[in-house]
Amino acid sequence: MKFRGGHNILLQGRPEGMIKLMPEPEVLYLPLRSRRFSFGELCVEEGQQVNGGDVLARDLDNYSVPLLAPRAGRVRLTEREGHIVLEDVARLAEHAEIDDEDLPHIAQEMGASGIKRYRLLTLGAWQFFYDAYSGSLPDPLGRPQAIIVSTLSLEPFLARGDAQLHNRLLNFTRGLEQLQSLLEYQPIYLVMPDIKSEFANLIRNHIRGYASVKMVSIPLTYPYDDFSILARRLGLKRSEGPVWSVRTEGVLAVDRALTLSKPCLVRIISIGGTGVNYSTHISVMPGYPIQRIRDKYIFEPVSRIINGGILTGERLGPEALGLDTECRGLTVLPELQDREFLGFIRPGWDRSCYAACYLSSLRDKFRERLSTGLHGEGRPCVSCNFCEDVCPAGITPHLIHKYLYRDLIEEAEQARVDLCIECGLCSYVCPSKIDLRSQIIDSKVLIAKEKEEIRKEQLRQEELRKQEEARKQAEENSK
Amino acid sequence: MKQLLKIIEAIRPTFDEGGKLGILKPVFGALEHFFFAPSDTTIGAPHIRDPLDLKRFMSMVIISVVPCAFAAFYFFGWRFLAMVIVSYASGLAVEALFAMVRKEGINEGFFVTGILFPLILPPGTPLWMVGLGVAFGVFIGKELFGGTGRNVFNPALVGRCFLALAYPKAMSASYMKPSHDLLGCLLFKWLPPGTGVDAVTVATPLSVAKGGEYCSLSHLLFGSVSGSAGETSAILIILGGVFLLLTRVANWRTVVSILGSFLLLAGILHHGQPERFGPIMWHLCAGGLLFGTFFMATDPVTGPTTNSGKWLYGIIIGSVTVLIRNFTGYVEGVTFAILLGNITAPILDEIVFKVRLRRLASEE
Ligand code: SF4
Ligand code: SF4
Repeated sequence: MKFRGGHNILLQGRPEGMIKLMPEPEVLYLPLRSRRFSFGELCVEEGQQVNGGDVLARDLDNYSVPLLAPRAGRVRLTEREGHIVLEDVARLAEHAEIDDEDLPHIAQEMGASGIKRYRLLTLGAWQFFYDAYSGSLPDPLGRPQAIIVSTLSLEPFLARGDAQLHNRLLNFTRGLEQLQSLLEYQPIYLVMPDIKSEFANLIRNHIRGYASVKMVSIPLTYPYDDFSILARRLGLKRSEGPVWSVRTEGVLAVDRALTLSKPCLVRIISIGGTGVNYSTHISVMPGYPIQRIRDKYIFEPVSRIINGGILTGERLGPEALGLDTECRGLTVLPELQDREFLGFIRPGWDRSCYAACYLSSLRDKFRERLSTGLHGEGRPCVSCNFCEDVCPAGITPHLIHKYLYRDLIEEAEQARVDLCIECGLCSYVCPSKIDLRSQIIDSKVLIAKEKEEIRKEQLRQEELRKQEEARKQAEENSK
Repeated sequence: MKQLLKIIEAIRPTFDEGGKLGILKPVFGALEHFFFAPSDTTIGAPHIRDPLDLKRFMSMVIISVVPCAFAAFYFFGWRFLAMVIVSYASGLAVEALFAMVRKEGINEGFFVTGILFPLILPPGTPLWMVGLGVAFGVFIGKELFGGTGRNVFNPALVGRCFLALAYPKAMSASYMKPSHDLLGCLLFKWLPPGTGVDAVTVATPLSVAKGGEYCSLSHLLFGSVSGSAGETSAILIILGGVFLLLTRVANWRTVVSILGSFLLLAGILHHGQPERFGPIMWHLCAGGLLFGTFFMATDPVTGPTTNSGKWLYGIIIGSVTVLIRNFTGYVEGVTFAILLGNITAPILDEIVFKVRLRRLASEE
């Protein structure tokens, strides 16, 4: 496959492959919002006693994905703004909340695969699926044209597929078979770094005959593991139906939900970055108190905790108390505080830069200790073209920036802002420190809003016309 | 360092909005940020940024012309230092004035113009002309368009073009014979030996060549010929140029396409009528071609941004230079060729973008 752009940022604090268990918590803070979901429909009452696996809330806009209680405990709804708090948390046998009475009904309507899909949704495995083009939650009852399974996560620093697969190869291949059973004849693409490796051979041996999986190898450059880039490169057309995509943890969740009929309550996330004393993977449940992770791993007094990777993650403010259901990793960066004396004429032996402007380009690859510093002042674009070179989507960020600067939204739309995958590399490389990524995202939102308005307007017109026609009809009839 | 920071903090209120010297805020800001990088942090994703900033970016250009500047000291005496100082002072004044009017920070772009400008002037240019030229270049070529990043023309070239058109006699009378001593003019000689202040016109290799006489290639390589202050030594220019290419500040496509098209066209001409047109290697090293290619044409702001645009841009500059040099009364065509290229750059970009957007429109 041919890719363009991309760039690997090497910085210190890459999590190692081990998985640490965190001590069981006494209290869980489950945020009602995460990146894609907003669990608006509460299903429990204040003070109610719940078991692990019970549904606490649902997101009605996203096919009613449930927010499951990770452990048994007592519900507090009003204690903390935006969170469901579980007190007196205990680890009891989890149970799966599937209404057995519903099942025959569903089976009749949608067949065996329908039951499976229903199970995925209610057992919390469906959350791990993404629509390759939009990144949103796909319709569980839809008919995908293909499934992309990726074992990679190239953004620094997110939970690595190899760490999650550790000792669970069997579950993984079983999960692939289960995925296959959801499909009719559509292909599953399994994306990995090297399809000739021993690991790939193991998988091949395991799944022989059970699942028709096409293995695809891609270079280990950020962000080639992005699903919409992969879908484009695999030649999948948007018009031919949705493409489901799922990562390692998703396949494992599918296995757990369908083979064992158990809810997926625990996640493996990474904790990394230059602000932690020990970068690793931890096995935690949603709602785990961030303060406890902080106490254990973070040593920098002034640091920024990021929910997700360094390039696309969101900052976790003090109001966030627990991990959300979609968290894939916490990254901690020290906040820049010092001012560097004559920074721009330093040789920069320990500074790595996209354009090789520091002495460090003479040495071997190394991992740099970066902070949140902007490293410079904002300036007008100098057309250095770095952003275009690095953009994996093949669009021209600086051109879009110039259009937006002059409020030319339509031109920006023609320049295909919608193809942007929000990887953040353009903002990263820009020497003028222009925040291209957020400008592009803002314009996307604006364009979507405008389109929505136009659609509404059209509907209104249509309605008016119909009314008019009906009136005429009535008049004619009465004549 | 701590002391300096303390002083800066102490006098900051004077320069703030409403302070006594509030109007000088851009100047103060530029000085402050010259010494101490700001401690601003990123707001949202991406949470880290490349360490490269515009100051470093521009410093790379300055570093790359340092060898040429030293060669200018060596060959043409310490008077050149005075030219550099005048150029910086006069240009900075214009830049600072506009920054104050516009209430923006002083832009790093000027530091490049300030050193490039004296390097493309004849070494004997009167100092008042240096000051006037750079002020004109910065004013007309840059500030009127809105400052660095928005300018269409390379300010240094605009300044030089202005001087060449306004004072052609004085300019061509300012070429000097370089020093041929072992130590050159390094031992605090103001001017090369044998040149008075009222210099007689000394022919440059290109103007001599109009009469059919070609000086030796080795002189061109080492720079012991007459010419603009920085452009005489091909070796040092190539050295600086390669440095720029390696750091990716200059784009190799522009360089390759200018030199490629130039060599091709000059080669064809020389092959056709060797007695009328000079040999290609000689053409390559004589005059300002190399200097213009490496340091002027690669200016990202005034060239096209797209890669395909850069190829076309290079071809235009390369071939126009050959045509001007060989078929017109002008001895040197690089300045005009690059300025012409600057004009076409936005058009080239526009065309490339049109094609690209059409291709993108079919993407899903
Ligand atoms: S424009 Fe979008 S896809 Fe391209 S580099 Fe920027 S954020 Fe990434
Ligand atoms: S990286 Fe920044 S300065 Fe360079 S072309 Fe893109 S927007 Fe302009």
